[in-house]
Amino acid sequence: MIEARGITKFFSIVNDDRTADGLTAVLSVSIGIGAGKIVSILGPSGCGKSTFLEILAGLQAPTEGKVLIDGVTVLEPLPSTRREMEEYRRKYQFLSPLANGMFRDRPKHDIAMIFQDYAVFPWMTVLQNVTFALKLRGVARAERASRAMPFLKNVGLGDSLSKYPSQLSGGMRQRLALARALAVEPRIILMDEPFAAVDTITRERLQDDLLRLWNATGITIVLVTHDTDEAVYLSDEVIVFSPPPGSVRNVFPVASPRPRRRSDPEHADLKGRIEALFKYDIDHESEYSI
Amino acid sequence: MDGYGTKGWRLLLREAGYFLRNALGSIFSLEFVTVFIPLLLLWEFLPRLGVVPKALVPPLSTVAAAFWELLTERHLLTHIGHSMGKFLLGLGIAVATAIPIGILMGWNMAIRKRALPLFQLLAPVPPPAWVPITIILFGVGLPMQTFLIFIGAFYPILFNTYQAIKDTEPRYLASARVFGASELTLILHVYIWHAIGAIIMSVKTGVAMGLVMLVIAEMYGGRTGIGYLLVEAKDFFQIPVMVVCMAVLGVIGWFLIEVLKFAELKLSVWKIGR
Repeated sequence: MIEARGITKFFSIVNDDRTADGLTAVLSVSIGIGAGKIVSILGPSGCGKSTFLEILAGLQAPTEGKVLIDGVTVLEPLPSTRREMEEYRRKYQFLSPLANGMFRDRPKHDIAMIFQDYAVFPWMTVLQNVTFALKLRGVARAERASRAMPFLKNVGLGDSLSKYPSQLSGGMRQRLALARALAVEPRIILMDEPFAAVDTITRERLQDDLLRLWNATGITIVLVTHDTDEAVYLSDEVIVFSPPPGSVRNVFPVASPRPRRRSDPEHADLKGRIEALFKYDIDHESEYSI
Repeated sequence: MDGYGTKGWRLLLREAGYFLRNALGSIFSLEFVTVFIPLLLLWEFLPRLGVVPKALVPPLSTVAAAFWELLTERHLLTHIGHSMGKFLLGLGIAVATAIPIGILMGWNMAIRKRALPLFQLLAPVPPPAWVPITIILFGVGLPMQTFLIFIGAFYPILFNTYQAIKDTEPRYLASARVFGASELTLILHVYIWHAIGAIIMSVKTGVAMGLVMLVIAEMYGGRTGIGYLLVEAKDFFQIPVMVVCMAVLGVIGWFLIEVLKFAELKLSVWKIGR
């Protein structure tokens, strides 16, 4: 169970002429994501959905509000007063506030994350990428390879163990990222536009792979995307973000049972409603900006 | 035990073979030999035919004779050994200090803000300007020479390492952090590997600067080394000896750069095939 309570993220910017500026990336987002669900966060580009996902992962501290995963706070919000800020700085002087600690590998939460541009490590082989993730989760050295193998086989990388990511295609790299995330057996996987950089056919295959693996494990998946098709096909619930600053515009439950067909008329109807919402928002926004 | 030993030797031999093939490949390529041999012939025959004054430009054969004389009668190999010893000591100290400091500064902003300005103020001092004060502090001898080589190699390695570590792709750090990586693991498995090419490149620059300082250091003090031979040859106006010394320095520099290139090849195998 992931619970976001009034998440706001504000970035302060110092311009070249020393004047201060600000940008509200996420504005007061409160959502709850049930265990074992697939939930998509859909929105126009620049609406703060990636920032929101990083806050869920604990990679950024929210300006206000907090994220609870099974009742445990992910990251304290940034302090608001100057004195508290000084304390916060002193506390983290030699470490980034997102750090897990100096010497001991220990994840703060049972989360895995997949990024758009396949953040698999190019200096590690396919197998090493997965065993490295297992090492960070405290799996003993002797067990790592045998734990990694079924997941690599499952995504069709069983024969490319000693290849480097630069020798793989984009789709295979993303499969490796998927295998690496699943191998640590997390309860939650956060995905930031995971299939945006691959071609349509590969994307559809990856989506089906994901559904198959989700079926087998029952983990919670939070998926950020700008692809309406993808959101409707995969999710139990589509959360639509408004144009910046990002906040929850609408929540659409997708009730149709799995396995789903891509050409389901019910989906087409839902897609039409979501896209109409986008169109309205964009038209509405341009009235203001002109 | 015997089997293992043989296997180790065989592996070493094979790697040495790879190294030689890599290093000598570019010199003994057909393309380069067709340029190099005519150049050597010009060097030999232009002075002999009187096109350039023979007293100032010694032909190749004279230089070769001087090389043989230095080798057999004036302990050239000992001089080379002494120079290399000092050089590797100075460079080793520079590598062993500059890389860790560079990594710390690139990794952490709080350390960077406290340490970087100091190095930025000291680095622009041209390394040869350290010679007088070093002679007064350390006297004339090994410590002074080692220190001068260290000073020459330190800053290029430091700044390039720091820059490369600082520019580590944030998404790699983020993905390792979500899996639970501690800062030490991030340094050992993410930062260093991401920067490895730039770090080796910085050591190459360090080698070049260190060689400059080696010659300067040996010109100013000591009774051994290539730089010393060079100055001595100047005093006796032995141009062939000077040419031999320059050629020896060139070959040493070339050899060290080739060693580093080989190390890069071995360490960043993952970049090949991109």
